[in-house]
Amino acid sequence: MDFGFSAAEQAFAEEVRAFLRAHPPETFPSDGTDAGYGSGAHSRTFTRALGERGWLSLTWPREHGGQERPMGFLLVLLEELAAAGAPFGPLAGCLQVAESIIRNGSETLQREILPQIAAGLATFWQGYSEPGAGSDLLALETRARLEGDHWILDGRKIWSSHAGIATHGTVLARTDPASTRSRGLSMLMVDNRLPGLDVRPIRSLTGQVYHYEVFMDGVRVPRDFIMGRPGEGFGQLLRGLDTDRFWGRFYKAPFLRRILGLLVEHVRAERPDDAVARHRLAHAATEIAALRALFRRAAWLIERGLPATGEVSAAKVMADELGQRVLSLGMELLGPSGVLRAGSRAARLRGEIEHQYQTSWGHTLAGGTSEIQRTTIAVRVLGLPAEPRVRG
Amino acid sequence: MMDLSFSPAQQLLQQSGRTFLQQRCPLERVQEVALDPRGFAADLWKEIAALGWPGLLISPELGGSGGSTGEALALVEELGRACFPSPFIASAVVATTALGLAGGRRARDLLAALAMGERICTLAVLEEAGRLDPDALTLPIAAPGRVTGRKLFVPDAHVATDVIVLGRGATGPTALLLPMDRAGIGAHALDSMTGDKLFELELTDVAIRPDDVLGAPGGGWALLGPAFRLGALARCAEMVGAAQRVLELCVEHARVRVQGGRPIGGHQAIQHACADLYRDVESARWLTWEAEWTLATGRPDADSAVAAAKAYVAEASLRVARRGHQIMGAIGYCEEHPLHLFHKRILAAALDAGDSTRHLDAVAKSLGLP
Repeated sequence: MDFGFSAAEQAFAEEVRAFLRAHPPETFPSDGTDAGYGSGAHSRTFTRALGERGWLSLTWPREHGGQERPMGFLLVLLEELAAAGAPFGPLAGCLQVAESIIRNGSETLQREILPQIAAGLATFWQGYSEPGAGSDLLALETRARLEGDHWILDGRKIWSSHAGIATHGTVLARTDPASTRSRGLSMLMVDNRLPGLDVRPIRSLTGQVYHYEVFMDGVRVPRDFIMGRPGEGFGQLLRGLDTDRFWGRFYKAPFLRRILGLLVEHVRAERPDDAVARHRLAHAATEIAALRALFRRAAWLIERGLPATGEVSAAKVMADELGQRVLSLGMELLGPSGVLRAGSRAARLRGEIEHQYQTSWGHTLAGGTSEIQRTTIAVRVLGLPAEPRVRG
Repeated sequence: MMDLSFSPAQQLLQQSGRTFLQQRCPLERVQEVALDPRGFAADLWKEIAALGWPGLLISPELGGSGGSTGEALALVEELGRACFPSPFIASAVVATTALGLAGGRRARDLLAALAMGERICTLAVLEEAGRLDPDALTLPIAAPGRVTGRKLFVPDAHVATDVIVLGRGATGPTALLLPMDRAGIGAHALDSMTGDKLFELELTDVAIRPDDVLGAPGGGWALLGPAFRLGALARCAEMVGAAQRVLELCVEHARVRVQGGRPIGGHQAIQHACADLYRDVESARWLTWEAEWTLATGRPDADSAVAAAKAYVAEASLRVARRGHQIMGAIGYCEEHPLHLFHKRILAAALDAGDSTRHLDAVAKSLGLP
């Protein structure tokens, strides 16, 4: 049993740390809110800087411009970026889209989009959820019909993160009008500059914009801007689900460890004799350690190509619920200052705790709610009988 | 890239351990030993000695198999899964580790006998305060000299042939290795609900010879500290195994128990409870193995990693046991149902080798909170 990284991976970790020392995260301009998962703000400049170092295509095959590094390099990169609080918001989305394009095609997407991802020029929003299709994703109503060399896309997507500042969306649409539920769905790559696309911000309870609603009215998507073949969309979604959830949450353990470090510093400075705070921080540290261990197990399974559905869903549930507990603890430890925003007189810890506290309440909803994850574990891993579907 | 697979030796121990325990230690047997205040499965102890289990951590030159801590933990997880009632962790892990560190003729002779399963060694460390802490020791030790005093929470004193006693010497915590039949040593059973056999050890004017001192005078904690650190990790593995079994019992029950025309496991309320058990078991398991890795590779954070594991695994495993009662329903409340055996085994393990207060204190120190 070896939980360590290889010498090459450790050397790479040092390389990442050296880069972050030379280019402190706060020196990069932010152009999109930090959603609190641990990947920091959305920063085009930082994303491009990652691209310049080849860090956006670490594990891709060489034929697609990648470096064929082992998956451990990616784990190291994400852990180091999260530990430093770097603004790598779009990274997980880029990884997921690149993986899907490499696996599914089309050749056009591989030729045109992959180099843009590698350079840090392309970032993505997900067009999955709709007003009437949340946890029941298959109730989606967005449609695309083939007309000559284009898909004509009509519909409405919601809760799409950073859709207003990303370059492309991956939109799940019904391409076979006669199909129902999981059949006849396709994943289209939609350039944000296409006419007919109307991207409207949704202001969240944090006071900032992270999510968007996207209206698509006769958007003409080139015929080969499709992942794989028509009708393969749901299979692609399912195949990618475990890894998507994994890469979207893996850095939460190092992120929470960073938050814990801030809280420890606060307690040392302002309430050094508080035995209750000390006990609660130590308790949180054990939970964060357990979360990291569970993610490492999931990572190892994914690297080996073994099923990881249970581990990934459990890790996501734990990451998001533990995040809420840690940030709630932060609010308590900061006292009246906890609610003050960054920049306010008497704010503590750069106002980070109040922001991350607020974002944490969306995490158990996003990417499949905690309830959906628990049902997945119960039915798909533990073998309990599925609840009967009520057909409307 | 990390490698989270079990070695061939670990897999062999897991498989042979599980097969043996399924055949020879069914839950009825566990129940029988648990309910008998002086219960001990002497026949099974003999059989596992023949399999070499008590000598797993003892060097080959003393008749052991010189196994790794990772191999011992793989086996202990199976012991926990079977709720195997025995002094294995006290004798074959904690005492064995202390004796191995101490060296010397007495320790080596005893290790050879432990490896054969001929003797069993227990530990007398805790006192009234119940704290696993060298500063909490009050039993005065003089060697040579005579010792009078009491030790509490001594496991399996009814079957132990030897005992390591930790007390306060002139130069610091001092460990003694005494045969249980030394004149003046008496053992009185405590009445524990966990089914573990715990005793008060009463030492009345017990004669101590110079060669009874284990290791160096004043150096007792240098032996017992590392021994209890490995013991804490072994208790983690035991709790993980027991919690895994609770999960299996609950899922099986949820699948077959039909109410209102369908299995209760078809309801989200039960499904989600089972999913939480799964999360607790998996996170506890891999935190345990990560801590084992830090210890086996001598990493500087090994102490705090083991402390964090012991605190978390205890909490998570107890959560599994307690939630398990709710899933299992009224049948799990019966003495004849095995659920309470696992619950109590987890509870006993959570309290042994340092309770959560002690381990969280160590974690706090590692965070920079003195």
